[in-house]
This record gives sequence, C-alpha cells and structure tokens, in this order.
Amino acid sequence: MIKNHLKIAWRNLLRNKAFSLLNVFGLSAGLAVTTLIILWINFELEYDRFHDKIDRIYEVNNQHQINGELWTWNSTPKPMAPVIKEDYPEVESVSRFFGDIEFLFTHNNKNLKAKGTIVDPDFLNIFSFPLLQGEVENVLNEINGVVITETLAHKMFNDKNPIGKTIKIDNSDIFKITGVLKDLPLNTKFDFEFLIPWSYLKKKGHDDENWSNNSVTTYVMLGANTSYAGFSKKIKALRKNYDKSSPEMVTYLYPYARTYLYSKFENGKEVGGRIDYIQLFACIAGIILLIACINFMNLSTARSAKRAKEVGIKKAIGAPKKILIMQFLGESILLTSIAAVLTLGIVSLVLPYFNALINRPLSLNLTNVWFWLSAAGTVILTGVLAGSYPAFYLSAFRPSKVLKGTIQKVNTLVAPRKILVVLQFTIAIILITATLIISQQLNNTQNRQLGYVKDNLIYSLMEGDTEKKYNIIVEELLGQGAVSSITKTNSPVTESWSNSWDMEWVGKQEDDQTLILRMHADNAVVETMGLELVQGRDINLNKYPSDSTAVILNISALEHMGFEDPIGQVIKDNGTDWHVIGVVKDFVFNSPFQKIEPLIIEGAKGWFNVIHMKLNDANTTSENLKVVERVFEKHNPVYPFNFEFVDSAYANKFNDNKRTKKLTVLFTILTILISCLGLFGLASYMAENRIKEIGIRKVLGASVNTITTLLSKDFLKLVLISVLIATPISSYCMNKWLESFEYRITVSWLTFVQAGLLTISIAFVTVSSQAIRAARSNPIKSLTTE
Amino acid sequence: MLLQLNNIFKWVNSGGQRIFLLKDINLEVEEGEFISVMGPSGSGKSTLLNVIGMLDGFDEGEYHFLDESVHNLKEKHRSNLYKEYIGFVFQSYHLLDELTVKENLEMPLLYKKYKGAERKAMVADMLDRFNIVGKKDLFPTQLSGGQQQLVGVARALIANPKLILADEPTGNLNSQQSEEIMALFKKLNEEDGVTIIQVTHSEKNAAYGSRIVNLLDGRKV
Ligand SMILES: Nc1ncnc2c1ncn2[C@@H]1O[C@H](COP(=O)(O)OP(=O)(O)OP(=O)(O)O)[C@@H](O)[C@H]1O
Ligand SMILES: [Mg+2]
Repeated sequence: MIKNHLKIAWRNLLRNKAFSLLNVFGLSAGLAVTTLIILWINFELEYDRFHDKIDRIYEVNNQHQINGELWTWNSTPKPMAPVIKEDYPEVESVSRFFGDIEFLFTHNNKNLKAKGTIVDPDFLNIFSFPLLQGEVENVLNEINGVVITETLAHKMFNDKNPIGKTIKIDNSDIFKITGVLKDLPLNTKFDFEFLIPWSYLKKKGHDDENWSNNSVTTYVMLGANTSYAGFSKKIKALRKNYDKSSPEMVTYLYPYARTYLYSKFENGKEVGGRIDYIQLFACIAGIILLIACINFMNLSTARSAKRAKEVGIKKAIGAPKKILIMQFLGESILLTSIAAVLTLGIVSLVLPYFNALINRPLSLNLTNVWFWLSAAGTVILTGVLAGSYPAFYLSAFRPSKVLKGTIQKVNTLVAPRKILVVLQFTIAIILITATLIISQQLNNTQNRQLGYVKDNLIYSLMEGDTEKKYNIIVEELLGQGAVSSITKTNSPVTESWSNSWDMEWVGKQEDDQTLILRMHADNAVVETMGLELVQGRDINLNKYPSDSTAVILNISALEHMGFEDPIGQVIKDNGTDWHVIGVVKDFVFNSPFQKIEPLIIEGAKGWFNVIHMKLNDANTTSENLKVVERVFEKHNPVYPFNFEFVDSAYANKFNDNKRTKKLTVLFTILTILISCLGLFGLASYMAENRIKEIGIRKVLGASVNTITTLLSKDFLKLVLISVLIATPISSYCMNKWLESFEYRITVSWLTFVQAGLLTISIAFVTVSSQAIRAARSNPIKSLTTE
Repeated sequence: MLLQLNNIFKWVNSGGQRIFLLKDINLEVEEGEFISVMGPSGSGKSTLLNVIGMLDGFDEGEYHFLDESVHNLKEKHRSNLYKEYIGFVFQSYHLLDELTVKENLEMPLLYKKYKGAERKAMVADMLDRFNIVGKKDLFPTQLSGGQQQLVGVARALIANPKLILADEPTGNLNSQQSEEIMALFKKLNEEDGVTIIQVTHSEKNAAYGSRIVNLLDGRKV
C-alpha cells in the first residue's frame, strides 16, 4: 500500500518535473535563507555569554549632562578602579582594560608584532579565559610577567615550553612568560594575544591620577550576594569625592552581558544597538520562510484539481478516506523532506560565502540534537500544512462529483492566493527600494568632496626609534625625492583620536560644551594633505619657529568660535596659548557619514603618533615606497616598516555599508526569486486549466494578444496593489534608516517609481511567458483531448 | 434478491425550487440479472446508477442491498459494502494515468487487504483472461480506447464483485470494440453469474441484457 502510494507520488513528481523542481527549489531556497539567518542570530545571541560569572560582571559607564542631553559612555579614568576596590566591599573583583595595543615581541632575533593589552590581575578572575599553563591567582602579579595565548606561544617558541622564557617587548623591556592562555573563542569581543599587568604601566610612568582623562575601560564583578539594584544606587555618586572637575558625573554599572547586543544609549536610556539588526533579520527570516511555505502550499493546492480525478477513481474502487488523507500528507511530507535535504546542501555550500559577507565564523553543527529536532519539526509542519488542503478537501468529495469534474478548478485566483501574491510582492518591492536607496546613499557618500587629497598619501605609525630620528628621516626622504611633503600628526587623517570641550577663546559662551576635534601637526600639514587654505598660511616651522604654538582652524571651528578676524587670535588648550595662523576649508576628518565638526590643528608643541607622507608624483609609487622603506629601516632597524595608503584606509570606512548593501541585494534577489517561482507556478497552472477555454476562444477568433492580456491581467492587478502598499512602508523605513547618517541623500519619488516599474516588469515577464505559451498553443489539440 | 429500491427520490435545490433528479423509483434486481437502463440524455440514468453504486446519496426512500438497509448505514459501513460487492466501469475508463496496467488492476485489491502473493495471482489471472498480458507494463495513455476499457472492466471484476455497474461502457468505443465488451459482459453474466446493470443509448447493446429499465425525467416509465 505504502509502496503503491510512494510510486504514485514519485511518478507524479517525475511527470511534472519542472513543476516539482520549482516547488522543491523554492521551498529549499526559503529554508536555506532562514537556516543561515538562524545560525547567525544564534551566534550573536551567544556572543560573550560563556563567562561563568556573566551575571555578576558589569562595565563601568559614565552619564553626564552635556548641552541639556544625558550622554552615556564607557571610558573611565585610570584611578577609578583602585577607588572602587578600596571603597566598595560589595565588589569582588575589578580590572581596568587599557585598550588594544600592538607591541613588538623579540626572542632570539625573532621579531613578531602581537596585539594585546594591559589589565589588572583580577581580569582573569572576572572573565573566563582559561589558562593552559600558570595559575589565575598569580600570572599577572609580576611587573615584568606576560601572559600569552597558545598561538602566540607557538609562533614565538615553536613546541618548546614557553613558561619562564624571556622576551623583549617593544625593543626595550625584558618580560618573562608567566602563563599561557587557551586561544580566545571567536564569539567574544576581546581580541588579544597577550596580557601585561597594570604594574608595568605604572613603572613606565604612564599611569596617572587624572580624573578628567577618561581613557580606559573598567570592569567590575559584584559579590555573589550583592544586589545590583541596591549597589548601583550606592556607586552612583562615586566621583563626588574624587573628581574635582566634574564631581556630579554619574557612575553607572552596565551589565556586561548586554554590552554586545545593546549598549546604544539615548539621553541616558538604553535604546537598542545590535539587537535592532538581529530583530530585523529575525523578521526577514520569518517572512521569507512564511513566503516559501505558503508558496509551497499554494502550488501544491493549485495542482490538487488535477489530482481530483485520481481521488475519485480511488474512492470508486473502494479506497477509504483515511488512506487518501494519509497519501496526500505523505506526498507533501516527502516533497518537503527532499527540499530539506537540498537545503542542507545549499547551506553547507553557501555558508563560507555568507560568513565572508557577514564577517562571522558560523558553522553548521550537525551533532546538535536541537538542530535536527527543529529541522524535522519544520519539515513535518510545512508538509502537513501544505498537504492538508488537498488531503481534507479532496478526500471529502463524493466520487460521483469528482469524476464528473464539477469540482472547482483553479480558473480564478481565490482570495487567499491573491493575498499571498500581494504579500510577496509587497515585500519584494520594499526590498528593491531598500537596495536602491542603500546604493544611492553609499555612492553619494563615496563621492563626497573630501576636502583633502588622498591620492599618493600614505601614513606610518611611529614606533621604536622613529620619534628620536624623525628629523634625519625627514631630511633623507625629502632629499632623495621620494616624498614631496611630510608632516607628523597625532592620528591618521582618516581618524579622530582627540577632542575637548575645555578650550578657551575670547568670546566663548559660558555654557558652551561643544566638542571640538583636535589634531596635532608639526609642519606643512596643509601642503601634505592637500587641504584648501581660505585665509592665512600653512604651518612652517623652519621659517617661523614660533609656529610650534600655531593653530589652524577649519571653517566650522571658525564659525563656532565666531572670530571676525581669526588670524592672530588665541585659543587656550591644555595649558598652551595657540595662535591662529590660518583657516582651511572643512574636510572629512572622521566618518564620511557624519557632518563636519569644528576642528583645530595644533602645532609642533603637541604629541605625535603618525607620520603622513605625500609621495612624489614624479616617480612611480613602487619606486617611492622602496626608498621610503629603505630610509625607515635604516633608522629604525628592529621594526618592520609599516604604512597604509590613505585612500584604502578611507575606503575601509565603507565596509559596513557595503556589507549591508550586499546582504540586502541577496535577500532582495531571493525574495524576488521565490515570489516569481510562486507566480510562475500559479500562472502556468491557471493557463493549463483554462486550456479548453483558450482553445474555444481561439477557434472563435481571439488573437494571441487578447488571450495573453486575459491571462495576465489578474496577476498584474495584484502586483499593482503591492506597489501601492509597499511604497509608503518603504518610504517610512528607509527615511528612518537614513536618519542614522548625518550626511545623507534625500529620497526621491523617482526611486519608488523605479522599484515599482522593475517589479511590474519582472512579474509581467513571469506571467506573460506562461500566458503567451498558452495562447499560442494549437486549439485543435486542446479541444480534442477529453 | 440482490437489491431493492423503494420510492427513491433525489433532488437539488436551485433558486428556491426543488429540481427532481430521481422521482419515486422502485426497482428490484435479482442475482444474475443483466439490466439495461435507457432513456434520453438528462433523464437521470447516471444518477440512478451512482445511487445504486453508493457513490451518491438520495433524499428519500429505502434502499436494500442484500440484507442491509443502505439508507440507514454509516458512510464507512456503506463503503465497505460496495467495496465488497460492487465493481464500476466508466464511459471514460478512469484509469490512473500514473500507474501501469498491472498496477491499475492491483489497486482494488490493495484496499481489500489481500496478501502480496494472492494479489499477484489474481492480477495474472485477469491479464490472462482478458488477453492483455503483453500490455501489463504499459501506462493507460499508451493503450487504445478499447484496450483501456478492457482494463477498466478487468479492474471492476478483479475482486469478484456480485454486481457490475457500467455507465455507457462503450460510449467512447467503435462498433467492433463495443461488441467485444458486450460479448464479454454476456459471458460474465451467463458463465460466472455476475449481475450487471448497464446504462446505454444503443438498442443493440440493450439487447444483450435480459431486461430494460426506461427512464424519463427521473421517472421510471
Ligand atoms: N448537481 C446537480 N445539480 C443540478 N442538476 C443536476 C446535478 N446533477 C445532475 N443534474 C441534472 O440531473 C439530470 C440527470 O442527469 P444524469 O447525469 O443522470 O443524466 P443522464 O441520463 O446520465 O444523461 P446522459 O445520457 O447525457 O449521460 C440532468 O438534467 C442534470 O442536469
Ligand atoms: Mg449519463
């Protein structure tokens, strides 16, 4: 019996190969996207949750009123951690985190750059990063002890036991390896290869007691029995006794478990963060799955009229209703199972590309029981839902009726199918609009006037002896003609590393707390970066030694400070009187997606981290680079020469947006594909069922055109309705999205027209291909059958 | 007596009006009879046959089949009854296109829970009897109309029914094919004692039977 049913099911599948393929493929495409998104969401939700004491770990945040708004941020002063430990017995452990640093590790002539940070000894108590060698209690207790990961250990010492071995860090201090960490898992936001104890920083004189310098992250772990609610009230006023400049600033403990997914604050309130994207994508996954499943059901039921005869005959022969129901459900489950297998194939094939796209190391865990349970659940649910209509509807008919063919055929679209088509295309249009607007925004921002010349401009971070030998390096670079202009700055031109609301000038408003970006440049900054002077001159230390306290404003800063005649004005900052020597046009300093903020460029009396070099246009880039590299290696031999092209550093700023765009394009194409599969299937079945009608009409003289129109009209009407529904929705959503960028396009109504036309044409091609085929068919053929 | 219809009425409601499809039908059929139902198109022949075959219900009257009162039976019981005793032959054959001749013949046996070996023997027997062994692996669409109807009759017979109901079994066939099927019916009736009720428009076919029932507007005349 089962064999018999399977046989019919299988032959049915084969007989309608194209149709079965469409149906199975449509479903598996939907299932595949959903699986990918679920894998991703799962990864994100488990991010940084593996720490044993995660419920007790908090990140110390500050909250402060600035210009009437409550700001929240997570950098803290260095002296805060010891104070917390001293004053609050409720806190079990506390550790500072210095931020990412890169050091040169040297062992027996082997030089290696490693990424790591400086922390307090409690760090490994708070976070669960297991040690392979060494004890949590004492690995970070020696001033010159360092903990490294197994990978770094392997790179430095091959297979030899690293414990007790010495290495030279940054070509200056000798360290002893005190512990080896298991490599960090991929789902943590920490990313370090070594940990150095805070005592080292103190010894080097880089620790400070300055409560205004918020530069490190502080983590605390509360005691097991401490209530968060009670303690957060207590710690609120921590700064009152210590911070002279802003004693009213609130200290706020933010649960560490929330930092990855949330941590976006507006006026002191948590307003989401990454979780927004996760919810969005969960929605998309749900919608795509829904569309694919309904599509599957729709196509299955569209065919059920064809199966009516089979049901009638079987009933006439004596088949009980129960068996017929089982047969249809079984067939449908069989089809879903094939789709599920195909899905697994698609997912494993696509996963590496998807990972590259979203920059995550997702993997399909085939040993997970939950995975199989949910997969089986989805298959059975979809199968039963899709099979239930033909199963219960058809098997309930009296055979005399079914055999006479009085049962309704799918000549017209019934309401549920209409709603489905509208729903599918509404989503497709929304996604198409999103794709268009995202690309426009991206293009527009990429083409933004920068205000500086990024071509042939490189920067190199200052390491080792470059600071000491700077003058001779400059002399040689210019002398050998590889570089036409050079300046050292505190940060690359693509990143803002310093700002302040403390600067003073004549005429500054009492309550003005606007942040002003700060850049330092010793010499020839306008020339090197190709800034555009509006007033005054470039910094020129050789000609004017007093330029070490010179300052150049951008136009936004000039407007903010309100100088009538800026040249010669004085700006007090960090205890120095800087005198204005020039004004430059606004240039994109930080994010190209933001509007330009007030910025000042302070002269040689500042501090420096980066060297910018304008390569000589007369030579090829590789010739220039060869010379530059040679000069740096001569004067700073231990360190390999590092550099970055400014234009590629700038291009990297668009990576996130490019990724969003790619994802949207992917989902759009998939949605259109699935929607069109459904439309195609419905159209072809309707055409098939009306074949007799079409034959008669043709015999009576109807043209191919009129018949095509007749068959396509109903569908296109529905797509038109989708356009009407989708346009306001996507307009709202996309404007909302654009609001997250200060520098943005305005959405033009033309975009919606474009999206609508595109969708209608795709739908038209899909439907009319079937309609034309039906209209062209020979009427004699269709009329003589039956 | 095989079956008895007493005062059978069947109607449909259309626009507030009751349209009678069958009106006061009384019919007794003895085992071994060969009855031909005749009448103009639309007179209710197919309807009557479907009622007798329990493929369709009726609104009033009594229907006794063997010792059972069909009008009082539950759907499931009724379907057991006809599964056991009745075979159908249709004008348009109604074979399952997805199954081969052999598999089509096997179908009714599947629903009666015969064992695999038994089924095989019965199918082989039928193929033999109808001289279609050579066609056993072909699909219905690969057969001529007459051959298809042969398979249709064979399928109706395979489970040894007491009664065969045939609705214009030769309607789609040429005269030679018709004669073959009719001769087959006669042989079944005379040699195997199978009761046959056929609907036909042809006087010639009707002559094969032992009795003629005439219908006009749902009434026996
Ligand atoms: N569901 C229905 N609703 C309304 N009228 C019906 C229905 N089913 C059958 N009829 C009517 O009942 C009458 C008898 O139909 P039936 O099919 O039994 O005729 P017939 O004698 O078999 O005709 P033919 O020789 O053309 O096959 C017809 O007039 C038909 O229109
Ligand atoms: Mg009839």
